[in-house]
Amino acid sequence: MKLITAIIKPFTIDDVRHAVEVAGVLGMTVTEVQGYGRQRGHTEVYRGAEYAVDFVPKARIDVVVDDEFAQRVVDAIVGAARTGKIGDGKVWVSPVESVVRIRTGERNHDAL
Amino acid sequence: MLPYPDWLNPGDNAWQLVAATLVGLMSIPGIAVLYAGIVQKKWAVNTMLMAFTGFSLVLVVWVLWGFKMGFGQPLKLGPGILRAAVGIPHTILSSNNQQIAMIPLLDGTMPSFRFSETTLAYFQFVFAGITPLLFLGSVIGRISFKVWLIFVPLWSTFAYSVNAFLLWGGGWWAQAGALDYSGGYVIHLAAGTSGFVAAAVIGPRLRRDRDRAVPNNLPLAAVGAGVLWLGWNGFNGGDPYFSGADASLAVLNTNLTTAVALLTWVLWDIFLSKQRKPTFLGAINGMITGLVAITPAAGFVNSFGAMIIGVVASTLVWFSWNFLGKTKPFKKVDDTLGVFHTHGVAGLAGGLLVGVLADPKVVEYLGGSTGTDVSFSGWLYGHHPKQILIQAGAAGTVIVWDALVTFVILKVLGLFMKLRLPDDVLESGDLGVHDEEAYPDESLVTTSGRADWPKASRAAKPDSEPAEPVDD
Repeated sequence: MKLITAIIKPFTIDDVRHAVEVAGVLGMTVTEVQGYGRQRGHTEVYRGAEYAVDFVPKARIDVVVDDEFAQRVVDAIVGAARTGKIGDGKVWVSPVESVVRIRTGERNHDAL
Repeated sequence: MLPYPDWLNPGDNAWQLVAATLVGLMSIPGIAVLYAGIVQKKWAVNTMLMAFTGFSLVLVVWVLWGFKMGFGQPLKLGPGILRAAVGIPHTILSSNNQQIAMIPLLDGTMPSFRFSETTLAYFQFVFAGITPLLFLGSVIGRISFKVWLIFVPLWSTFAYSVNAFLLWGGGWWAQAGALDYSGGYVIHLAAGTSGFVAAAVIGPRLRRDRDRAVPNNLPLAAVGAGVLWLGWNGFNGGDPYFSGADASLAVLNTNLTTAVALLTWVLWDIFLSKQRKPTFLGAINGMITGLVAITPAAGFVNSFGAMIIGVVASTLVWFSWNFLGKTKPFKKVDDTLGVFHTHGVAGLAGGLLVGVLADPKVVEYLGGSTGTDVSFSGWLYGHHPKQILIQAGAAGTVIVWDALVTFVILKVLGLFMKLRLPDDVLESGDLGVHDEEAYPDESLVTTSGRADWPKASRAAKPDSEPAEPVDD
């Protein structure tokens, strides 16, 4: 099993969710996060004083899938989240040892 | 049966009570939410609670002794200004206050009041009540809450009462001809001065807080600012004490100066600010500057003069804010919300401009068949340049007296208690002072009795063993 984590632009979340669903994944976890990469932050001005905001709001998606699904899901996310501009985000895949569905106690493959 | 005595006029009484209520709304919720929205998220609760308690404290002081110190019989302390600087303290708790209102030293210089003493006392209270709330803006983010609870009654007694008596209670500066229509000096110059001195004596916020002083809720600030603007219709519209044409002119002038000052600030922001961008909070600064600057002048100037005040005051305060505010002494003294500029400088500018622009054709009280109309002359319309000097003298007195009183009260309190909260409390803000936060998250609350453990670890000395971790 693989954990797919994607950091994407928040406004692409609808397209990404749809693309991942089409790829056959039934659930995902979404979190509002902040970070920076090559896309730098911006400046805000309050009452004449400048404040640097170095972190940019992003959405983070976590999905656990069977190994054979992983590449398809990654491609779906990348396809839906790409705008071609700096700040589109990243997707990475990591191995997962075990998964339990809390309601039923099902494990690993059955729990996905 | 009669509902009220024949000296009472229901129209005047009704307007005066409505005007008073509008002014009260400027404090709560006006100032409370304006400041709560502009401060950092972690100070919103502390800010609101200081506003609500300050308002309450002043009312108690006001009925027990404050009102008579501002508007009662003069306390003869000595020669010259001491002859008429403050009134004899007295309560207004007896039932006598259903009688006709009277300001002893103004008797004969204005028409007899057409409402009761209670109306006058409450109307004047809301002005006394908002003043400490204004300079609260200078000391937010570090003043000890307990110090606030003691400081406000003392300041109201020794500073505000004297300001009010000198200019409105028929005291020495009123007799010398100084004009303050609705509190440019008594309230705003006083708040700007006292706030700045208090900020200097108490000390600055945490370095980290000063560097990251971003507001937490601009729409909330918009609500507060809007309540202030329209509330000012009562502030200036109520000060002729009669619901007549001068009240109408004062209301129009107030709105006109404010609109012009707001637009002037936005234009300076667009063309001269470092970022060349119009900002909402900048516009609010301009709005407040306009409201403050027209306050001493609203019913003395014509509407052309009101527009001039808007442009001049907004420009002066914009430069004061953006240049004077960046100089060394102003960077050293941590006036959190810049009350010195938007209230102090604006109030002083408006007061001096009364000396320039007061128009004798603007009539406050009609003379009727016997007397002459009551109106006032400045340099431009009345060829009375001396009025500028009188205005400057009154301003000087308010600045010196309020700075002195603020300094002495805080130095004396400082002997017995810490004026500034300790750094570890400042780091956590509202949670440290009140165990409350502005935007609490119910989903993070547990009910299994664990609420004890953060306190235990907070009490632990930093160099001792860390508190035993709770095993989940």
